[in-house]
Formats: sequence, C-alpha cells, structure tokens
Amino acid sequence: MDEKTGTSRDQGDVAKTIPTGRRTDEWSECLVLIANKQDRAAYTRLFRHFAPLIKAFALSGSALSATHADELVQEVMLKIWQKAGGFNPEKAAASTWVYTIARNCRTDMFRRLNKFDTPLAAEDFSPDQEHEEPFMQLQSRRSADRIREMMKNLPADQTQIIAKVYMEGKSHAEAASELDLPLGTVKSRVRLAVQKMQAQFEVSQESR
Amino acid sequence: MNQEYRVEDKVMAKHHPELDILTEHAAGSLSLAQTACVAAHLNYCHCCSQTVSRLQAVGAAMFESLDPEPVGDALLDRVLARLDEEAPLSYQPARRSGQDATPALLSRLMAGDFSDLVWKKVTDALRITPIRTGDPQFEFSLLHIKAGGEIPPHDHRGSEMTLVLQGGFSDDRGSYHPGDFIYRSANDVHAPRAFADEDCLCLAVIDAPLRFTGWKYRWMNPFLRLQAG
Ligand SMILES: [Zn+2]
Repeated sequence: MDEKTGTSRDQGDVAKTIPTGRRTDEWSECLVLIANKQDRAAYTRLFRHFAPLIKAFALSGSALSATHADELVQEVMLKIWQKAGGFNPEKAAASTWVYTIARNCRTDMFRRLNKFDTPLAAEDFSPDQEHEEPFMQLQSRRSADRIREMMKNLPADQTQIIAKVYMEGKSHAEAASELDLPLGTVKSRVRLAVQKMQAQFEVSQESR
Repeated sequence: MNQEYRVEDKVMAKHHPELDILTEHAAGSLSLAQTACVAAHLNYCHCCSQTVSRLQAVGAAMFESLDPEPVGDALLDRVLARLDEEAPLSYQPARRSGQDATPALLSRLMAGDFSDLVWKKVTDALRITPIRTGDPQFEFSLLHIKAGGEIPPHDHRGSEMTLVLQGGFSDDRGSYHPGDFIYRSANDVHAPRAFADEDCLCLAVIDAPLRFTGWKYRWMNPFLRLQAG
C-alpha cells in the first residue's frame, strides 16, 4: 500500500494546533484517524515509523531471536490497531503509548517463552489512561525532543546502564552482574540519569 | 521518600517506593509479583503515578532513539491482511470504584473476596494466605494481623515489599496506613505491630522465606515457607 494514498499529506500541516496552543504530532493524528476512521493509510505511515523501532527494541541485548522479533512487531502493530480507540492524545504522547504497548507485549512474550503460568498480562499493571490527569505538557513533543537531546550528552556509563534497564528490560541486579559492578553503583547511576531526564519535564511544565 | 501529596478524594500515602523501584517498574524490569505490589501502590498514590508516567516517557524517548531495524514490506502486508479479522475494539475502560477499594489487580488475583481465601494461622495474631501470581521467584501473599497484634521479629534473606491495604501498623521506623509502601532489604530485622483499634491487612512480596529470629518462634518457620508462584 502506498503511504501517500488515502489521507493526504497536507492534512498534517493544518491539524497541528490544539486548543491549548500546543502542537500535536503526526503520530497522534495517525492514531486518532485509525480510531475514528480505521484509516489504513495512517496505519501504514505509523507502521513504517514504529515497526523498525519495535524490532530494534525486541532485539536489544539479543533478548529475542529474529523470528520472535518479527512476531513481536506483528503483535504490537495489531494491538495498536485494536486499541487505538483507547488512545487519548491529551493524556499521552503517541510514542509513549506505543512504547508502553511494545514493552508489555515483550514482557508477555518473555513470560510465554519461559513457560510462566500466570493469570496476569503485563498490561494489567498499567493504570488505565482514563483515570490519569491530562498532563500533555509533561509529554509534549518538546520535552521528548529535549530528553533525546540530553541522552546524547549523558556520560557513557549512565547511558549504558539505563539502556540495559529500559531497552533490555534488565533489573538493576541483573545489570549489576552483567557489568560486574556493585548494585549500589548501578542504582546511583540510574538515579542520576533518570533524575536529569525527569528534570526536563519539570522545566517544560514551568515554561507553560 | 517521605513526601505527602494531597489530592482530593485520594488516600494520601506517606511512604513510597524509591525512584529506582519506580524506574524498574516503568521499564518493565521488575519481577511479576513485585510489579503487582508497586502497581497496587499506584492505585493509591497520585504522586508516584505521575512519576511513573514521566519515567515511561523517558523510556519512550529512548525507544525512539533506537537505531531502527529494517522491517520488510512482507511483514507490513501480513499485518495489513489481518486487520479485518482484528477489528478495533470499541474501547470502554472499566471504571474503578473509590480509591480505598481493593486494587483491581488484586481482586483479579484473588478471584473472590478476602474471606474466600484460605488463611494459614501462624500465631494468634497473624494469618497468611499465599496468592498465586505465576512468579517463580517471589512469593506474593496477604497478611492479616489482629488489632494490636505483633508479628514476631523476623529478617529475610531477600527483600520484602509491603503495602498496607486496611488498618495499619507501626514498627521502629514509623507507622503505616492504607496505601503506604514499605521496602525492607535483606537482613533488616523488624517487628511490626498492628494499630490497637483495627485489624490490619497488607500485601507482602518476599523473595525468600521469612525467618523469625526469636527462639520461641523458630518452630513456626516451616509454616512460612510459602510456595512461590
Ligand atoms: Zn507513592
């Protein structure tokens, strides 16, 4: 399917201002189109952007084989199609919403592969978006960009560890033993990195 | 982390998980039983919920900066072909009843009410019921302490997470009310005592059997060797 069919590009230039004066992003618009119109062109655009990231996430730390990584991509992308109606652009950034689904699906896949017998799915642990306060300002495109910018400037030892925790899904204790570091060192590096990045949100909140 | 966060109609938890536990929770790297306990705290705590949202946004930013792995059009076509059978769900999130109600997650695990559970009597004051989560390492259980009752001094080879659900208790470091989250690391000895006027119900997640340290109680340790899972 051609990504230029269906919804035309020019729409992307208009619908970016929401009542609060903040710009939404292209991916939020895609999710809304999928939810309201089952728009396959929007879905294809979303696929082309996120599927390669989901695959990279699946392969981080060689957690999953290539076959399982493709399986995860399919699973996550289908979940996105099914659940788009539950996405509320005022409460979360599209990338956070997609990341959370990918994280949950990967956790469930790990558990399946390790023959965990559990009545729970990873998404049972995420609070329902419906009950969250709108905090668009916390997750605006701008803070996401700023966080990415700041990640490039983190000391290498901190980047390495938070990548293990977030992208490879390792616990602090597992990261400590893989890197042959004391648990306390791992914890303090994660805390330093995370505090710095969290601070980006505080800033964007104040500059409202 | 002893901050108080006042939000209308919400229980104000005063004792919270440390940032590193919240980070592991947000990253999905905590074990199943532990993450269930943290999720139950979030049910009571607006402040930690917001922190977790921010920590998830940090994860999302990292996710977006990954080097993309090429995905072939064959996979896209396969997914597109399945869209019809996987119609979007008309989404109606379940409503959560009041803040002090049993966290939804816990209700699902218990598949019933507290009274339907099989409680093991450990002492006159203490009853325990293990709850199956499927976690192969961590034991997830409910503890019921009679009003004014004391849990014998104990330590643990691993960590212990506790979340107060009803009533409350105190130990040498503070007193804890519904929604409060307490984390004790290995070899931390403590002897919690329930408040005098109300029975206390809490959720505990431990990664090794509790060991009671007083000689009087040694004999009861086998009772506490709960089954993980
Ligand atoms: Zn809290």
